[in-house]
Amino acid sequence: MDWFYIKGILILSGINLMAVLGLSLLTGFTGLFSFGHAGFMAIGAYTAATMGIKLGLPLIPSLLIGGLISGVISLFIGKLTLNLKGDYFCIATLGFGEAIRLILDNVQYFGGARGWPGIPLKIDLWNVAIINVVGILILINLINSRHGRNMIAVREEELAAKTIGIDTFKHKMISLFISAVYAGIAGGMVGYYTGFLQPKMFSMNKSTELTIIVIFGGIGSISGSVLGTLLLTALPEILRAFALWRLVAYGAAVIFIMISRPEGLMGGKEITLKGFIRLLNIRKRSGKAAEG
Amino acid sequence: MIQFLQQMINGLSIGSVYALMAVGYSLVYSIMNFSNFAHGGIIMLGAYFGFFFLTLFNWPFAVAFLGAAICAAALAVLVERVAYKPLRMRNAPFLYFIISAMGASMFIENFVIATIGPTFKTYPAVFSREPFRLGPLFIGRLDTMMFVISAICLAALIYFIDFTKMGKAIQATAFNPRASALMGINTDLIVITVFAIGGFLAGIAGVLFGMKYTVYPQIGFITIKSFIAAVFGGLGSLPGAVIGSVILGILETLISGYFSSQFRDLISFSLLIIILVFRPIGLMGKSTEEKA
Amino acid sequence: MRKFWGIFLVLVLVVSIVAVGCGQKQEAAKEEQKTQEAPKEEAKQETAGDVVKVGWIGSLTGDQAVWGQCEFNTVKMLVEEINAQGGLLGKKLEAVGYDTRGDAMEAVNAVRRLTSQDKVVTIIGPNASGQAIPISTVLEEMKVPDIATVATNPKVTVVDGKTKPFNFRVCFIDPYQGAVAAGYAADVLKFKKAAVLYDVADDYSQGLTEFFIKTFTEKGGEIVAKEAFKSGDTDFRPQLSKIKTANPDIIFMPYFFKEVALSANQARELGINAVLMGGDGWPSEVLLEMAKDAVNGSYFVNHVDFDDPAVQDFKNRYMKKYDRKVELNGYLAHDAFLMFVDAVKRANSFDPVAIRDALETTKIQGITGNIKIGKDTHNPEGKEAAIIKIVDGKYVFQQKYAPSN
Repeated sequence: MDWFYIKGILILSGINLMAVLGLSLLTGFTGLFSFGHAGFMAIGAYTAATMGIKLGLPLIPSLLIGGLISGVISLFIGKLTLNLKGDYFCIATLGFGEAIRLILDNVQYFGGARGWPGIPLKIDLWNVAIINVVGILILINLINSRHGRNMIAVREEELAAKTIGIDTFKHKMISLFISAVYAGIAGGMVGYYTGFLQPKMFSMNKSTELTIIVIFGGIGSISGSVLGTLLLTALPEILRAFALWRLVAYGAAVIFIMISRPEGLMGGKEITLKGFIRLLNIRKRSGKAAEG
Repeated sequence: MIQFLQQMINGLSIGSVYALMAVGYSLVYSIMNFSNFAHGGIIMLGAYFGFFFLTLFNWPFAVAFLGAAICAAALAVLVERVAYKPLRMRNAPFLYFIISAMGASMFIENFVIATIGPTFKTYPAVFSREPFRLGPLFIGRLDTMMFVISAICLAALIYFIDFTKMGKAIQATAFNPRASALMGINTDLIVITVFAIGGFLAGIAGVLFGMKYTVYPQIGFITIKSFIAAVFGGLGSLPGAVIGSVILGILETLISGYFSSQFRDLISFSLLIIILVFRPIGLMGKSTEEKA
Repeated sequence: MRKFWGIFLVLVLVVSIVAVGCGQKQEAAKEEQKTQEAPKEEAKQETAGDVVKVGWIGSLTGDQAVWGQCEFNTVKMLVEEINAQGGLLGKKLEAVGYDTRGDAMEAVNAVRRLTSQDKVVTIIGPNASGQAIPISTVLEEMKVPDIATVATNPKVTVVDGKTKPFNFRVCFIDPYQGAVAAGYAADVLKFKKAAVLYDVADDYSQGLTEFFIKTFTEKGGEIVAKEAFKSGDTDFRPQLSKIKTANPDIIFMPYFFKEVALSANQARELGINAVLMGGDGWPSEVLLEMAKDAVNGSYFVNHVDFDDPAVQDFKNRYMKKYDRKVELNGYLAHDAFLMFVDAVKRANSFDPVAIRDALETTKIQGITGNIKIGKDTHNPEGKEAAIIKIVDGKYVFQQKYAPSN
């Protein structure tokens, strides 16, 4: 395969990964299901582009401001919706995502539905990789902290977590905030990579795609999210030759992984060097004994 | 005043379209506790079945109508068997069901695009398009029929749920699946029945939409609105689904009619979130707090 | 067992990635061998022996699939026809097309693949501005020209006064089409009060609306209502009821034929008798099937006169091959392909940059009219629009029209 093409896939994976990491914290570690993350991406994308073009800020500060603004907005949304359960929260976030898109469709300052071309191209493989590595490190630290453990407690048994004195609402809020910041940064990268923004790019499909990647990679696993993003961004590209049948195969693959391995590729586990050695030992010892 | 009445008629008719879909959603939700996103796909397939029965086989309308509904019911059960049953057997959390449902809906939509093609299919003219006139008001013939059929289906469903043994078993399962299984209710059979009913309603909705809006692979997309309506009314509650749909239909109409059609969805989504803030389980939803 | 599945899946995916990669590498290696064996003379312009690849991107799936599939079918058909006549400059052509799902990021990747791996000499498509704009950077990096079919946003070819060197198109741009529709409505049909119903989430619809309103008010007309819906909507009666009370002479409906048919039917059901008017999203057999009576007496702006023998000929060839009716995009893809063939012939080379240079001076007679590419705009200049009236279920050509200004 040509490197130029692979580079494109990798950059795209990197952008997706940033959004997936945030969502992984929200869905995978805190147990909240969002259909509106494309909305946070859109906020980040338009803010970052504004910072870069209208205020002349360099790439990293504009991305960070994009992320922050999207995080701040998530606090408002969170305040209103984080008490909702399951599907109700889902629908509230779906409504949020669509509402953001509709606002952007109507705001002619940003080009409305016709889009905003001419954003400088500042994203290459290197800065995507660095941003992602930093993102992963921050996330790992967070998850291994007290906050991270509390979040997992919220996911597992919200009522029990409440009883032992965890402020569940606060932890959900932190989780939503961070995931919105990540999504915002990812959105900013979209703009600086394609040089063009259009509200259509942040449709509900984008949100569901991100959620599918998180679940596919495995709930509560960062390495799962990384692996899931790489595989699911590459999969449609590999299937390109199937043309019309491509998304049929993709849909079937999603169902297949759900029913054969519902905890996702790496459910709750992480790839670490230690784990890898242990895995080899287990394989050696137990041979074919399957655990079911 | 005339415009207001006309808008109310429009709203009611849009609401009855939503209701027809929302009821199927809500019924499945009441048993399975997750939103069946493949419902839109089943509606679309129902529309195609009706179309082919009418044009290829030249079946009389009533037969084609019933045939499409039965086929859709069978497919809904098939989707359940393939995509949900394995998850049900493991007591997987609702997240997995939703992802599996999204995979199924992606599969169905793209399967139809790949096999039948993306073109729009026009139903043969079964009914005249000439509207009823009530003084200065216009009432569509098809809309009236849809309203009547929705009402009949709903009445039949409520009768079935409230007055038959099977219906009572469904209620019991919805209330507490584990206890009702212990009481000798065959949960698997209940699930099949519920999906069959949901699919049957989807088939009816599909044929009606096909006649009203023509048939194309993305026709299931409108179900998003009915999903929102079901949340409005309270998930799992059939009267809630109907009331939520009618309210959403009228609300949307009044917003476009008197306020701004550009920002219609923004306003209706904001209202949805506000309602959920005050009533986190929708208008008539049953509390799902800590339901096993 | 679960672990087994996980590992199994990862293995399968990794193997498939590697397999695809290796397959390509082998091919590439073969190609290299070929080029080494071949005499040095054509080494620069030839990449794949006797077959030259033409790329296409667009929506094969998603809600734009109707148009995308028609385009790709057209390109494939024309490639076959040209190969049957002995090919182009003695080479056989091959069409390579990739689906974008209507997504900008996918379009960028598809173009990356077409230009680097498939080494196409020219890309035809995509069918939307939202995809045509972001791909330009890849085109410029790889130096491969693109001829967009129906990407009507002016910014596809010119941004901030700078012409994008590798982007071309065959269709009209939004300002032109909006002005044609408004000019015809105001000057020829003499309408004074217009209402607009448009798709707020669609770039094409917003573009046409903006320029229709601009021209119509400049010509002294009045916009009595401007209502919107959102892509995917199927019911337009709330908006139409509101438009009805504003009592316009004409309703401008700049969106695609499915929504046109639905909204036209609903307008008539509400007792609205105003004349309807639209843009090049209208023409389709499906419109007449769905709303023959409702759109009777309506006007729309089109690229082609359907009675033109050249158009008829293409229509019949397409019907014969695919047993489907050709959509408007087919005509434009046809002309985009003609532009490509003409440019290759004049450049006498398959070198993408040479093709690009030749494209800049294109002057051909296509089935959608005279196509003369402007060097500074990369748009077809002075392409006249055809005004079509729908009379008793037939598209009746009225006149060629260009707005006077």
